Formats: sequence, C-alpha cells, structure tokens
Amino acid sequence: MLEAFIFATILCGFFGIIFKKNLVMKIISMDVMSTGVIAYYVLIASRDGLFTPILSTTRRGNYADPVPQAVILTAIVIGFSIQALMLVGVMKLARNNPTLETSEIEQNNAP
Amino acid sequence: MSTLTIVWITLPFFVGFISYLLPPLNRILSLGMTIASISYALLLFSQPPLTLQLLDRFGVTLLLDPLSSFFILTNALVTAAVILYCWNSGKTPFFFMQTIILHGSVNAAFVCTDFISLYVALEVISIAAFLLIAYPRTDRSIWVGLRYLFVSNVAMLFYLVGAVLVYKANRSFAFTGLREAPPEALALIFLGLLIKGGIFISGLWLPLTHSESETPVSAMLSGVVVKAGVLPLVRCALLVEEVDPLIRIFGVGTALLGVGYAVFEKDTKRMLAFHTVSQLGFILAAPEVGGFYALTHGLVKSALFLIAGVLPSRNLKELQHTPIHTPIWIALVIASFSISGFPLLSGFGAKVLTMKSLLPWQVIGMNVAAVGTAISFAKFIFLPHQMQEKQGKIQAGFWAAIALLIGGLFLANIVYYEAYSFGNIVKPLVTIALGWLAYFLIFRQAVLKLPRLLEQFDHLIGVMSLMLILLFWMVLA
Repeated sequence: MLEAFIFATILCGFFGIIFKKNLVMKIISMDVMSTGVIAYYVLIASRDGLFTPILSTTRRGNYADPVPQAVILTAIVIGFSIQALMLVGVMKLARNNPTLETSEIEQNNAP
Repeated sequence: MSTLTIVWITLPFFVGFISYLLPPLNRILSLGMTIASISYALLLFSQPPLTLQLLDRFGVTLLLDPLSSFFILTNALVTAAVILYCWNSGKTPFFFMQTIILHGSVNAAFVCTDFISLYVALEVISIAAFLLIAYPRTDRSIWVGLRYLFVSNVAMLFYLVGAVLVYKANRSFAFTGLREAPPEALALIFLGLLIKGGIFISGLWLPLTHSESETPVSAMLSGVVVKAGVLPLVRCALLVEEVDPLIRIFGVGTALLGVGYAVFEKDTKRMLAFHTVSQLGFILAAPEVGGFYALTHGLVKSALFLIAGVLPSRNLKELQHTPIHTPIWIALVIASFSISGFPLLSGFGAKVLTMKSLLPWQVIGMNVAAVGTAISFAKFIFLPHQMQEKQGKIQAGFWAAIALLIGGLFLANIVYYEAYSFGNIVKPLVTIALGWLAYFLIFRQAVLKLPRLLEQFDHLIGVMSLMLILLFWMVLA
C-alpha cells in the first residue's frame, strides 16, 4: 500500500517534468520525484522494525536498518545542492527569458 | 598498495581545493596531479588485481585491475592534455580546480564496484561538468549545462530506486548483487547508466552538450566523462554473465545509431560528438577488451576536439574552400587514420582486438559501423591544406597537448602488437578503401539533413520513459 503511494509520487514527479512548460515547475517536479525516491529508501529501511538503532540497556523492539537511511542522507545532500545550482542557472537565464518556458529558451539558444 | 590507492583517490580533491587557495600554483599542482595519476595507472598494470573493501559488506568496495587502469590512464592523459592546452589561455583558477575535481571524481567512478559509491561519483561528475560547461557564463552555455544536469539528475533518480532494490535483495550494494536482484532493479540501474554513458537513443543529449561546450571542455567530456557511465556497464557485464548479451545488443545498436547520424553531419564538432556515441558502442560490443578501446578512443577523440577548435570554421562545407595550415592538417589526418583503424596507430590494434572478441551475430553490424567511421573521417582527411605564413593565434600549449595525445596513440601500439599479421592488416585497409569510395560516390554530395527533433529537451525526458519500457521488456523476456 505504502509502496504504491511512493511509486505514485515518483511517477507524478516524472510526468510533471514532461508536461510542465515552465523551467522552475520542472525543477519542482524533479524535487517531488526525489522525495518519492527518498521515501522509498525510508520504507525499505523500516522493513524489519521502526526504532532508531541507538545502543541502550533496554531493548524496545526491532530496529530499523540504518544503512539505507545513511545512504539516502548522502543522496538528499547531493540532490539539494544540485537543485540550488540549477536555480542559480535559472536566475541567470530569467534575465533574457522572463517567461522561463523551456521551448522558448531552447529556441533562443539552439544553434 | 591499498594505502597508496586511497591516497591517490582522495588526492585530486585536496589538490583541487588547495590550488584554489593558492592561485599562482594552480596550473602546476593540477598538472602534477595528472602526472601522479599516470604513474599510478602504469604501476597498476604491473600489479595483480586488488580488491578493497572498506567497512562491512554494505561499505565501499573498490576493484583495481588492468581494465580500470586503462580507463585511469585515459583519464590522466586527457586531463593532462587539457591542462596543457589551457596553460596560457587565461583561464581562472576556478577552471583548473573544476578540471581536477572532475578528474578525481571520474577516477572514483572507474574504481568503485558498489552502486552507492558510483552514484556519488556520478553526481559529483555532473556538478563539476555543469560548472565547466557553464564557465563562459553566456545564456547558451548555461542552458546547455542546465539541460545536461537535469537529464543526468533525473536518470540518477531512477538509478537510486534500482540501487535500493539491489540492497533489498542482498543487504549489500555490490555490483555482484545484480544476479540475485529482481529484474526491475536491473532495468532501472541500466537506465541510469545508459543515459549517463550516452548510449543508444537515451544518449541523444550528448551531441548538443559536447558540441556547444568550449573546446577543452568538449575534449574532457567526450574523452573521459562519458566513460564513467560506460565502465560500470562493462563491469556488470563481466561480473554477471546474464547481462552480457544485453550490453552487447546495446553496443551494436549504439555503434550503428551514432555512425548513421555522423555520416550525414556537416558540422565538425557535432560529427565528432556523434562519433563518441558510436565509439562507445564499440567499447560495449566486446566488454572484455573494452579497456584498450577506451584508451585509444579517449586519446584520439580529445585530440580531434582540440584540433577542431583551431580550424577556421565549424562547417565542413566552408572548410572545403578554406585551406587549413599544413601542420594542423597532418595532426588531423593522423588522428582520423587512428580512429578509422589504420595500421601503425593504436586504433588499429584496438579495432582488431574488438572485432576478434565479437560474437557471430554482432560481426555484420560492427563492420558496417567501421565502414561508416571511415566514411565520416574521409571528410576530414580530404580537406584542402597549405603552408601558411602567419599563425599567430595557435599557442604552444595546443602543440604540447596534441604531441602528448598523438604520442600516446603511437606508444599504445605495443599493448597489442600481435595484431600485425597479414590478414589483420588487409581487412582495415579494405574497410577504409570501401569507406572512401562510398564517401566520394555518395556522401560527398549528400545534402540530407537529419531532424534534431529528438534532441529537444522534452523529448530527451520522454525517451527516458520509452527506454525504461524497452529495458523492462528486455530483462523480463
């Protein structure tokens, strides 16, 4: 069930990238897509248990798998830095292409 | 050896940051780094394969064998040539820093054998390549860079989903886990790598990106950066036999697609970019000998891009009327002969070796692609040339870079000197003769202009979904 929601999020993001015309909207769609991917990692991590794996004397139940979480943390950092970089590029482009429609930008900049 | 390896992997990043802090030293430090990489790669040839596993089974795994040393050597030589080319061009320390960070991340992508280290390396490559493409800060360069970053980031999101599916099946991210992983993991990971590597129709982002970048950046991108997506594919094919046929099919498809576009192309840099697509196909068509082919292709393609940058025009029609300076023409002809597979240059050995390792069903396709290569490079070989008195704008750095790359082409011959037998020598000569004949009879006059529709941004993303369906179908069938 949760898996279905996650895949729906990923697909929504992907279709947003295709169907939205505005470059900023495309970048936001990409963010939606990456949110879906991150959620999928968290879901896989919680297959065996939900508790944070911290050493303590009392055992509270099954621990969540820390590896996918650690991995996705790296991916989140990379993802947001790429988005920041893209938005800077968009700011520069917006000066000469105020509508930011990709087809327009492409026409102006194609050889 | 393990300590040396780890020091060598981290060194480019330190050198990059230090050279940014000490601007007067940046060129020397960058060049020193590439020399260190060259020596490391040569050392690696004499060592037995080394496997490093940092942390537990889910940690970083590295594999250093002759295959990766070929790729590392390519990377080091091309980066050195690019730094020499830019030596006196007034590029800021930022440019050299990005070049060396790109060099380091490509090295990291070449040696790792787990999906997450590869992901990190590929993303760092995207960022560094974006900054290099957008270095001139013009609208066009920023758009070309953004397009590249966007396409590769979306591809990497699919890849991440595939990577976690591999983890779910094995509790480890190692490449070998692909065997137990569900087929959808294979499809998603391959989608990411095929796009990053510029293979088949998912590689159609490549021609515009590589042809609209500045000369040294295109040389880097075409020479080494795309191979960061190709080597993992080759590795998977070697580690997991089940995916080998899949890789070979894509190899043949790419070789034909790239050549098909290249023979009709009238723009020098675009033709070279399409050729990159086709040559990547040659690497994939015979995964076990891909390393040597990658070395030759990296050297020759970066040399060709650097030469194309100093030609008086980009349009081949105009070049047929404006003679080029004879020394440049000679360099151009040597490089073109090597890529067509003419004996005495290492392109010959690489082609013979690849052709020998093909499976029977691949032979026809790859031979057609080889003829296509000869056809398109005949366009360069038969350009008019003359000695010109004043050649003010070509700098010494250009000649140093070309000497390094072409010298490498001659030296790399020794890797496979057994290739020089009578039958082996006749075949490429016949291929080249056929190619030239076809060029004079048909393609010299051809004015067919292939549409660029599929290279538009929206279509690039759309093609991704088609590729995903194709891959699903291929792995399930």
